[in-house]
Amino acid sequence: MKKFNKRFFLFFLVLSLILVVTACSSGIEADKEVVEVEKDTVIFGDAGWDSIRLHNAIAGFILENGYGYETEIMPGSSINLLEGMISGDINVMMEMWQDNFIAYKKSREIGEVIELGTNFDDNAQGLYVPRYLIEGDAERGIKALAPDLKTVEDLKKYANLFPDAEDPGRAIIYNGPPSWEATTIIDIKSEFYGLTEDYNIVGTGTSAALAASLSAAYVKGEPWVGYYWEPTWISGKYDLVLLEEAPFDESLWTEEESYACEFKSSDVTIAVNPEFADRNPEVIEFLTNYTTSSLLTAQALAYMQENDASIDEAAKWFIGENEDLWKNWVPEDVYSKVMAALE
Amino acid sequence: MSKIRVENLTKIFGKHPKKILQNVEKGMTREEIFKMTGQTVGISKVNFSVNEGETFVIMGLSGSGKSTLIRCLNLLNKPTAGKIFVDDENIIDYDKKELREFRRNKIAMVFQHFGLFSHKTVIENVEFGLEVKGLSKEERYDISKETLQAVGLKGWENFRISELSGGMKQRVGLARALANDPEIILMDEPFSALDPLIRRDMHSELLDLQSKMKKTIVFITHDVNEAFKLGDRVAVLKDGEIVQIDTPEEIIENPANDYIKNFVRDIDRSRILKAENVMKKAAIKFGKALQPKIAITLLEEADVDYGFIIQRETSKLEGIITIDDLALAVKQKKTIEELMHSDYKAVHKDVYIKEIIEIALDTKYPIAVLNDNEEFIGRIHRGTLLKALI
Amino acid sequence: MFEFPQIFEFKIGKVVESFVEWLTINYAGFFDSIKTGILFVLLKMQMIFEWIPWFVIIGIVFLVGWKVKGLKSGIAYTIMLFLIGVMGYWDQMIMTISIVLAAVIISLVLGIPLGIISAYKKRVDIILRPMLDAMQTMPSFVYLIPAIMLFGLGMVPAVFATTIYSLPPVIRLTTLAINSVSKEMKEASQSFGATPLQTLIKVEIPQALPTIMTGVNQTTMMAMAMVVVASMIGSKGLGYSVLIAINRTDIAMGFESGLSIVFLAIIIDRLTQSIGTKYKYD
Repeated sequence: MKKFNKRFFLFFLVLSLILVVTACSSGIEADKEVVEVEKDTVIFGDAGWDSIRLHNAIAGFILENGYGYETEIMPGSSINLLEGMISGDINVMMEMWQDNFIAYKKSREIGEVIELGTNFDDNAQGLYVPRYLIEGDAERGIKALAPDLKTVEDLKKYANLFPDAEDPGRAIIYNGPPSWEATTIIDIKSEFYGLTEDYNIVGTGTSAALAASLSAAYVKGEPWVGYYWEPTWISGKYDLVLLEEAPFDESLWTEEESYACEFKSSDVTIAVNPEFADRNPEVIEFLTNYTTSSLLTAQALAYMQENDASIDEAAKWFIGENEDLWKNWVPEDVYSKVMAALE
Repeated sequence: MSKIRVENLTKIFGKHPKKILQNVEKGMTREEIFKMTGQTVGISKVNFSVNEGETFVIMGLSGSGKSTLIRCLNLLNKPTAGKIFVDDENIIDYDKKELREFRRNKIAMVFQHFGLFSHKTVIENVEFGLEVKGLSKEERYDISKETLQAVGLKGWENFRISELSGGMKQRVGLARALANDPEIILMDEPFSALDPLIRRDMHSELLDLQSKMKKTIVFITHDVNEAFKLGDRVAVLKDGEIVQIDTPEEIIENPANDYIKNFVRDIDRSRILKAENVMKKAAIKFGKALQPKIAITLLEEADVDYGFIIQRETSKLEGIITIDDLALAVKQKKTIEELMHSDYKAVHKDVYIKEIIEIALDTKYPIAVLNDNEEFIGRIHRGTLLKALI
Repeated sequence: MFEFPQIFEFKIGKVVESFVEWLTINYAGFFDSIKTGILFVLLKMQMIFEWIPWFVIIGIVFLVGWKVKGLKSGIAYTIMLFLIGVMGYWDQMIMTISIVLAAVIISLVLGIPLGIISAYKKRVDIILRPMLDAMQTMPSFVYLIPAIMLFGLGMVPAVFATTIYSLPPVIRLTTLAINSVSKEMKEASQSFGATPLQTLIKVEIPQALPTIMTGVNQTTMMAMAMVVVASMIGSKGLGYSVLIAINRTDIAMGFESGLSIVFLAIIIDRLTQSIGTKYKYD
């Protein structure tokens, strides 16, 4: 009994020491923040995919440390987030994939939301296969199973490489989640290219499921073909090849013409709630200047995946690596504050 | 010959029964052991034997260990120590297979709450033991049907257990045990869940069956009347130990201690005690040729009022005579034969007191008790009857 | 605010992640054969359901409903089923039933023996309990992604996820049922020289059956509840229609496919429930 008491006491002593120390350190931080003037809390919409979360974190870091705003992240599906932005519950969406998001186009036209500028536009979408499928991978001992696979139409020759387990005798192309416009477009294209004769075009319920299926095939070195887009951590981490189609042609990009060409490099823009824009001109100025690229985004996402970093750490890494880029988005004093916060 | 012989049987419940066993051997009481270790001594160093064809009743209050004891006899409870011989084989040494064979062929059990399988029909229940043994469908059906008839359940074969009354359920339980044709039947308070009236019916039914079957029965009860009614011999169990083993009459007449005295106080003795148990053996017997004068001396010496006249050669009773009659004989110079009364009453030694009381009302003389050969073996006075009933 | 000190941080998840990846690479064959097995059952089942004409299915449901619940219920089920067809979800319903049925069968095949074992072995029960809690409370997406890694997209991981969710009630109720078989009944069986297996098969399981049937009902309902989640990993059926409807904010489609799920759930629930009550003995 006595012995137990002693141990218990020691345990408490250590525990309270730890608590006191941590309390003090966080207390100091709190003091600093009090100095700042109260401002709007900037609410970002998080539609669930990686690049938007990365850009939320980058913009959030700069707004918090450079401008002194509080920021918040609100998760949701893109359609719900759009509704939220119209009603003002959400202030900023860092990525609006124009061509995949018809509802957004309408809202923008009637002025329910304001588009600030292009975040990046050198993105790509379409049907991807792992590079080892075409070129092999000597290191992993993978043979090139489809050396002549270059275009989407070539898939017809290789249907036997992609068997659909649930439908013996047929092949499978993994499509995007339902409701994405690209998913519908892939359906129509596949029909046009004559792929549906041999292939089932199967919608994956969520982008996470799509990523997992690609990821599983990739680590096993198995054939896989499906819809994907850049930038993502997947495109940063895995070596994928976009199957070729005819160059983008505005006149072909209709349902009647079966979208018979490659995806247009979609403008991924930043949009905000109009009232929020009126109240916070300096945020708007910053977000209007905010321009990155697919490559840079994919690099940061790959960094995150490889180093098992959090999204915030990846954002810091991005800010550190691309100082020259974002320096131009903000005033001098903000720049130095952000740099200070980085250290 | 004894069918079952139990030697030093001890059962301790708990995690370390072997350790506790030492305490039992040291003579610690059940209560002390429980307080010290939290383990329960179910039964402690029990010894008894059951004869072939005998109904052996183990009686005790709840918690006395009687259920534990009976479950040791077919090893539903594994004894901690001791030996159980059935037909001179120690069943505790049986391996799994031998034990199964023993249970399948030699012993069957009837349970307090019937232990019937509610998902089976009446006849399927009765068939169970045979099914387990691996008998063919037809064989076991035939046997079970017959057995059901024997317990008075003909026509109920295909009913569900839930459709039967309590008494009928226990008949099924009994039939299930009998269907196996075991040599030994264990009955764990089989009738205690029944209404008193039905219980009485079941008692007579069991006695009836037993008179035909002559099985060795070990019967558990907490009811003294039931124990004494059914048991050829009764063992009284208290706190896991046997206090007394004897015939019912002997227990009533000679209780081993105050506990048993208390126990038997409430019982209806007139239904248990027989003429033999209450009669006085000492009696003045003489032939009819004896001189009355000498007879008077004999009676006066023994300080009794009556004498019994016996036929010398056969020990048969011829009559009864009072001391007053003898005095008259001396005065009038008559012989005993002339004055003795032959309107005396006599009963067989196994007649219950309850019946003797009625006889006693009809006669002013003591009642004579006779054995199977109608030989005179004792006498019962009204006063003796009264004393026996208190 | 007191922040949790960082020195204590340890990434348990990372270990799990590497483990899953390791499994994916090294045991691909093993998981493929499981996948093939499940798929075989699923496809056969789907084939049979697709082979039976729709009016026969409706007829069977009517007859069974009539038999176990009464005429009114039979008619009600018929109308519900008919409505599913009218709304255009017949094929999806068939796929959903296949997945639910496969998950339920797997749950029973695994769950009843596991339940029996944990009724017999206290230690197994102690180990199993928190695992069952985890299976029921762990958000399904957490294990869906590993499931996709191991089994690929589509119906198989859907069956896997559904099974994980619907297995616990079978195990729990089987254990409970076996444990609550009356002691005397077990003793009676033993006293006649029944082997443990005989006791189990002839006494304990039949006695436990009504409770186990309750478990089957619960399991089926839980499996139904998982169809939307299952559709998120590419299994077709009613859930996928709901998912499309949600994503497109298509209220009409959402209502119709949702209603179809409700109808199907009601029919399955009532039928399994009344079959369960048929088994009650006393």
